[in-house]
Amino acid sequence: MIRTGIPGIDEMLGSGIPKGSKVVFSLEPGVDGRPFMYRILRTVLSSGKNALVIAPGATKTAFCSDVSQLMETDQRREPGRVTVLDSAVRDGINSRSRGAKTRLKEWQKVIRETIQENAIEVLFVYFDLLYEDFGLEPALRLLPSGEEGRGLVTIVEHLNLEGDSLVSRFVSEGSFDLIISLHSAISTIPFFNFLTLEYVSWSQIPRRSIPYSAGGGTLRLYIPKIIVTGPPSSGKTTFVLNASDSGLSSDRGDADGFRTTVTMDLGWLHLRGFDIHIFGTPGQPRFDPILPQIFRNAMGVIMVIDVTRPDTLPRARELLTLAYAAKMPVVIAANKADLPHRMNERQVRESLKLKEDIPVYFISSLRRSDVHSVLESMIDHITRLSS
Amino acid sequence: MYSYKTGIRLIDEVKEGLSPGSNILILAPAMSSGENLGYSVARPLPGEYSLVLSTVRRSVDLLEFFSSVNIDHRRIGIIDAVTKLSTPDIRDSTQVCYVSSPSDLTGIGIKFSSLVESIFAGEFPESGDTLFPPPIRFYIDSLTTLLMYRRLEVIYQFLHAITAKLKKMEAIGIYALNNESFDEKTLSLIKQLMTVMIEVKHEQNGELLRIRGLPGVSQDWVRFGISETGLEVIL
Repeated sequence: MIRTGIPGIDEMLGSGIPKGSKVVFSLEPGVDGRPFMYRILRTVLSSGKNALVIAPGATKTAFCSDVSQLMETDQRREPGRVTVLDSAVRDGINSRSRGAKTRLKEWQKVIRETIQENAIEVLFVYFDLLYEDFGLEPALRLLPSGEEGRGLVTIVEHLNLEGDSLVSRFVSEGSFDLIISLHSAISTIPFFNFLTLEYVSWSQIPRRSIPYSAGGGTLRLYIPKIIVTGPPSSGKTTFVLNASDSGLSSDRGDADGFRTTVTMDLGWLHLRGFDIHIFGTPGQPRFDPILPQIFRNAMGVIMVIDVTRPDTLPRARELLTLAYAAKMPVVIAANKADLPHRMNERQVRESLKLKEDIPVYFISSLRRSDVHSVLESMIDHITRLSS
Repeated sequence: MYSYKTGIRLIDEVKEGLSPGSNILILAPAMSSGENLGYSVARPLPGEYSLVLSTVRRSVDLLEFFSSVNIDHRRIGIIDAVTKLSTPDIRDSTQVCYVSSPSDLTGIGIKFSSLVESIFAGEFPESGDTLFPPPIRFYIDSLTTLLMYRRLEVIYQFLHAITAKLKKMEAIGIYALNNESFDEKTLSLIKQLMTVMIEVKHEQNGELLRIRGLPGVSQDWVRFGISETGLEVIL
């Protein structure tokens, strides 16, 4: 396995990319693939592995300078070595060889020799000029196969001007072991970028889209909205505040000293490589008209119930219908399990009429570790499991 | 809806400017004012911003040119596809970004997005008139150069993606192309993405332009000149 160095992606893939795999980052025009390519390159070099970069559109100096600027590091100081086949190599081959077949053979020769001479373990390819020079299938043949490569990992960046049809072709023809497409969500204003895990050959991970943010050489996957909901006084605010690295509660007390959430609780945390925003809803039915809007565009729902109060479960069932309607992953946090209670998992499942694949965790939301185990389960559901 | 004044009286008086999402192709022979005509149309008016993809001039020369023709370059972002060929270590600034060569369509797309984000983030100087979304004119000073580096089909697909983005952003695109360098098939494919076409030609008494694609606007050839204040049509 080689690690990508991008925590969220390594988490999603298990622990990285198996040896001998071919990976493609398919870029929508305008989306920056460099944070992914450069991060993996840096991770590879820092682990002492040697890398070959095929960058037919740039000079070696321009490429290395761009890596240094974006990653704010000097790759020459890493224990692994990088070799670059750059625009000068392409110009040389184009000027020496007439005809695409001869040029293709020369590229194959120079790639094979460079890999052998430099003990290359990871190959990085900027693909679109090769695709343009030779066509798709011959250009794909330039990428060493598993047998030729002897464990070589190939990472390809491709400016995809053909859209979904090319990605579908890559999937159906098994051209790559891992296909990730990068998109920008631009409307009238620039919004955010997101990646779609289109295909993984070594794992049963369903197609998933995750927003991400990149800047200053760092790259973070982003789960913009997880809803924490449940009946009144089930412990949602405590859950949100204990889950968060920074959070805000809108609890207000009445004349009798009873406190309740009057709008929303907000929390932010970084967990398992993901930046996550969590939104705690109020529990009283009088807020129901606003809940569909709060649920909109959420990626998952955590239902907090109070196991000492079975009488509140009908309200939880009402709230679950909203999550089911939005077809979002659901995790049940059976809270206050540290207090005397009589409910077990079977009773919770029966009362809430839960499907078998919805996990139930008996927790105390006062304990951060309990709360995080619920969130980790939710991250798995969002990123790795079928909903 | 915002309307982009072109500085060409024939268009601005009849149509009151161009609607957002318009794409203007300037077809001009070599050694003509086609490229400068493009800069004139791309000039940002108060409250507007311009982005220029320069495949011909280095950004330092372009900034000098803007000063010489009295164009306020503080609201212009430049994607420079020339300088990095000779100075590979050069670093991006807020308003000037570099790509390795005109063949680097990936880089051009990235720098375009980055400059648009900078405008929306308020990193360009404001002009006092704050409009939302900020009107943006995007100018490719030489489609000719891009077509020399990449295949027609690739450039077509790339422009298709860019024009779709401009439409979403309610911006306009301006593209200069040397009509003597390419065959009819190339020209007609590029024209498919355009809403307005301005043709330029030389004659003994100066340069003439003709506007196509705007109903109600005269399609006759008219003489024009470009001065510090902009473009002047001589009727």
